[in-house]
Amino acid sequence: MDSLAWLILACPLVTAAAIHLGLKKQQSLAALVSTASAAVTLIFALIILKVDESRTAFDWVTIGKFKIEIGLQLDAFAKGMMIVVTGVGFLVHLFSLAYMKDDKAKARYFCGLSLFMFSMTGIVLASNFIMMFIFWELVGLSSYLLIGHWYEKNSAADAAKKAFLTNRIGDFGYMIGILMLWGIAGSFTFDGIAAYFAGSPETTWILGAAVLCIFAGAMGKSAQAPLHVWLPDAMEGPTPVSALIHAATMVAAGVFMMARLFTTIGIETIDGLWGIETIAWIGGITSLLAALMATQQDDIKKILAYSTLSQLGYMVMAVGLLDPEAGMFHLFTHAWFKALLFLGSGAVIYACHHEQNIWKMGGLKDKMPITTLTFGIGTLALCGFPFFTAGFFSKEQIFEAALQANNWPLFFIAAGVACLTTFYMFRLFFVAFLGKHRSKNADHAKEVGPLMFVPLIILAVMALVVGWNPIARFLAPLHKDFHFHFGWALGASILSLVIGFLLAWKLYLNTEEDPLAKNGIAKIFRNKFYIDEAYAKVVGYGQDFVAAVVHFIDELVIGGLLVGGFSRAAGGIGRLFGRMQSGNLQGYAVLFGLGVILVIYLTVFVS
Amino acid sequence: MASLNDFLFISGLLFAIGLAGVIIRRNIIVIFMSLELMLAAASLTLVAFSRFHVQNGLPDYNGQVFVFFIITVAAAEVAVGLAIIVALYRARQTINVEDLTSMRG
Amino acid sequence: MSIIFVLIPLLAALAIFAGFKARFTALCASTLTLFFGGGCLFCWDHPVWGIAPQILSKPAIHLSLGFFDGMSVVMVLLSVIVLFTATMSGKCPEGKEKLWYGSIMLIGAGALGAFLSTDLFFFYAFHELALIPTFLMIGMLGSGERKEAAWKITIYLAFGSIILLAGLIGLVGASGSESWLFSDLLASSIDPAAQKWIAILLIVGFGVLISLFPFHSWAAPAYAAAPAPVAMLHAGVLKKFGLYGLFRLYPMVAEGMQAWLGLLIVLLLGNILWVGFVTINQKRLDYMLGNSSVMHMGYIFLAFAALISAGSLEANPLALPGAVILMFAHGVSIALLFMLTDTIRRKTGTVELAELGGLAKAAPRLAFLFGLAGMASIGLPGLANFSGEVLVFLSGFHEYKGGALGCVQVATVLALWGVVISAVYMLRAFRQTFQGPAVAATHSDRVKDFGPFCQIPAAILALALLVVGLYPNSLLNLLKGGDSTPSTEPATEAPAE
Repeated sequence: MDSLAWLILACPLVTAAAIHLGLKKQQSLAALVSTASAAVTLIFALIILKVDESRTAFDWVTIGKFKIEIGLQLDAFAKGMMIVVTGVGFLVHLFSLAYMKDDKAKARYFCGLSLFMFSMTGIVLASNFIMMFIFWELVGLSSYLLIGHWYEKNSAADAAKKAFLTNRIGDFGYMIGILMLWGIAGSFTFDGIAAYFAGSPETTWILGAAVLCIFAGAMGKSAQAPLHVWLPDAMEGPTPVSALIHAATMVAAGVFMMARLFTTIGIETIDGLWGIETIAWIGGITSLLAALMATQQDDIKKILAYSTLSQLGYMVMAVGLLDPEAGMFHLFTHAWFKALLFLGSGAVIYACHHEQNIWKMGGLKDKMPITTLTFGIGTLALCGFPFFTAGFFSKEQIFEAALQANNWPLFFIAAGVACLTTFYMFRLFFVAFLGKHRSKNADHAKEVGPLMFVPLIILAVMALVVGWNPIARFLAPLHKDFHFHFGWALGASILSLVIGFLLAWKLYLNTEEDPLAKNGIAKIFRNKFYIDEAYAKVVGYGQDFVAAVVHFIDELVIGGLLVGGFSRAAGGIGRLFGRMQSGNLQGYAVLFGLGVILVIYLTVFVS
Repeated sequence: MASLNDFLFISGLLFAIGLAGVIIRRNIIVIFMSLELMLAAASLTLVAFSRFHVQNGLPDYNGQVFVFFIITVAAAEVAVGLAIIVALYRARQTINVEDLTSMRG
Repeated sequence: MSIIFVLIPLLAALAIFAGFKARFTALCASTLTLFFGGGCLFCWDHPVWGIAPQILSKPAIHLSLGFFDGMSVVMVLLSVIVLFTATMSGKCPEGKEKLWYGSIMLIGAGALGAFLSTDLFFFYAFHELALIPTFLMIGMLGSGERKEAAWKITIYLAFGSIILLAGLIGLVGASGSESWLFSDLLASSIDPAAQKWIAILLIVGFGVLISLFPFHSWAAPAYAAAPAPVAMLHAGVLKKFGLYGLFRLYPMVAEGMQAWLGLLIVLLLGNILWVGFVTINQKRLDYMLGNSSVMHMGYIFLAFAALISAGSLEANPLALPGAVILMFAHGVSIALLFMLTDTIRRKTGTVELAELGGLAKAAPRLAFLFGLAGMASIGLPGLANFSGEVLVFLSGFHEYKGGALGCVQVATVLALWGVVISAVYMLRAFRQTFQGPAVAATHSDRVKDFGPFCQIPAAILALALLVVGLYPNSLLNLLKGGDSTPSTEPATEAPAE
């Protein structure tokens, strides 16, 4: 079975290489090859789902006794995550076949997708932190390439750069964390670290600091405040990419990695570690901020992007509350319904001739019934409609986690976010799909073809069923069974749903323009709390100013005074001696005479 | 009879006159003649030392042999030097050292 | 046998000056060295490679060439790869073929000689041999402010070489060894007080050659002005001479170096952070690359600092391999970048970032290769630089066993921030050059993409980056051989590790 696992890893890589080297000209073939490889990896992932846990590795770096391995860890955790990656990945490939049909650089796009599948598989199956870091950066690369797919647009090129750089800042912390953990536990491999902590050694604040450093990596990849700014901009990429990378899988890698870290070190050891509650708070704050921002966006993809941020905040919060199962379960359900929503928005955008403003859509339910239905299911799942949608089960577990940790502030934040989620999702649904057509593009929209709606239907089914215990037990990476009981969690869940829905109903059903547009507070939400502007200032006036000053000093002091001083001194001495070379014969004679006298004086009178 | 000191005084005077000529005069021929004067001063000193340094009733001939060498070398030097001066004059139309500063650094 | 590495380019240079067809001769010679360089990977530890005729008896100097250990092999490999690609790249001005190709061959001979020498004297002399044509080429065939740049690099490097020579003579003198052979020198022991002073001379001397902060201001103007092959050879290969020397001579002055650990850490952080900021502010592609190459030297010094703090090669086994891989990777990636920048200059007529934009549309292959090299130089996994950098960082934390961070660890953490800085300037440059809408200079009517022939050297360099990046053990296995058969005199030479 090990060789099968290696095949899962190799298949997309080989595909990407083949497309890049050989299939640049045959664009449609490239697309088909890439999709086929995604299908193959999905089948492989399903096959290994039920085989025993195993571990296989080869040495990547060997120096004496020291080695870094590239290894595959096939445990339940990784195999479940593989289902998400390859499942959503395959559907997105399928959707892309239609969505990118007319793109001139289709081969490059599919090459990027295959590269992404390779990198993401690497993260999921990694058996040690160095390997995870390697693939961690590679997903960053594929995300960079795919966001910048339409690189001729300035906004896309800038967004790609921003995403990569923000992630780099996170990775800075991640690498420090890995190094510190290596120092403490003496190993990179999850097995090795687990073995070290199994002996329940003394822990100091250093371990807490290491964990927080590693968490910085997750903050970058999972776009947690204050490193969240890249994710909304990343929507510049093609919509299927947003569905796969910036909603379902890559951004969830941070949560996956933290869950991996926590289960490796052991929850008992993590509990009470220095500064560990920061993680939950960052998650909670991110989810609240993002939900508020989402309420006032007009771009359909931006709404979904902020919603993704907010849900990622949930997951991080759950992990930070020392319940990685809840976080991972939400990751798992969220992947399906968020991919559904994004692909649905892709279908809408495609049908409306690349119109993304929801206020210029409207009335799509008559034109695009299948899309509307599936999008509606996705909305319900995201809002956590009780008792049967996937989002309900996982959200419930997060509420439970907050209650378990007795963290009431975070519990109320979570409930408030749930309420906001319902509000902005129904706002989107009412404005875009119900009401009247508000533009010619929306008027001309028609239902998308089967290559697009089949993935939507499959995802809609998944969005409904993956939360159910038997299915979750089979597929989900980390999962504990859900048991109904009446209490705070269920009450908060239903109450927030009702309030959010009623508000959206009241404000947005059959409106022509946003009734909150003039509101001062809403304006702050609309402008994302001005965080992007603040960062632009910091980068513009901070970093670039420092760079300019440093460069100036470098030229002036080191180049000018220090080195220039030496060269001027040398030049001055040279000119001094040069002046003595007057060319005047008699001048030389005088000097010669003086020299002779000096020599005589020294030889005769001195010694 | 003149003492050694008188000879040395005369030769010092000659040398000083020669040196002054070399340093002060601008005409290269005069400088050349002054150089010869300095050589003559040196020769005079050698001869004087030779005469006053008597060993076994004989003067020390080493000094006098030296003088012969100096005279020979000086003759050769005059020949070469004058030739150079002539060539220089042909090239530059001057024998004033102040005008000959092409070696200026 | 290994003298062929020196003789082939040397004879080629002579032949070129004597009037043979310049480009053809140079290509043949560099292909041959590449061939031998590839071949020696498999049999470098065979004694047939070593030669050691004595040139002088007192002091005993030998023209001793051979593979001293795996580090030499890697450096020779780097040299032959870059020499081959440098010969193929760049555009020689009409009528200057003799000087152009002759100089390239001489630089190659010097570089190869320096890395192959197992005698301290020739180690130094070959490097100087390579520098002279470098100066000439920059001054005579360079572009922009070439005269000024040539003077700057000449004076700087001469200054560095003099200090280095003082250090080397001091080293030999203090060791009491009759001969200048590495093996004899490494076997001797030096009084710690003398070590201290030799160490600082070596740090400053080699440091100037490597553009250690604050002796770095020659690098960017010189590389910007230099013709492409010279920039490739100097930044890629010759600059590594200093680092190679430091690591090679380190065991003799291990104790003395410890006194300068703090100073070295400050300087290397100057390289990484200070020069990093300087790089961000560059407005021209070539200056940006020149500064970035200065900056990346800081990482190799970081490995050296980790080594010093550990006290010996055995105490920190990761430092040397990390540094060697990084040297190789940096050499290859910077050579590729300089080559492509020259291509951009020739195709668009400018390297001012403000005048470029959207080049990827007209030249997608160029964009891909530049992107690959740029990503390599900012340490993207899968490409060679990452393998080196991660080992360097690991070597910085090798001594760390939990608890508070020591000074080398703090330096490592700060150096890690340099990874962010380099991403900032590299992505900015890539964005500005290749992405966005096309501008006048880069319009597809004017600019044609790479032809297949021009791609060969770039592809070779890219392949080297990929191979080492995907499987670093391919180079590390070479380094491991250090304790097998030493090359020249198996009986006397001490194993390097």
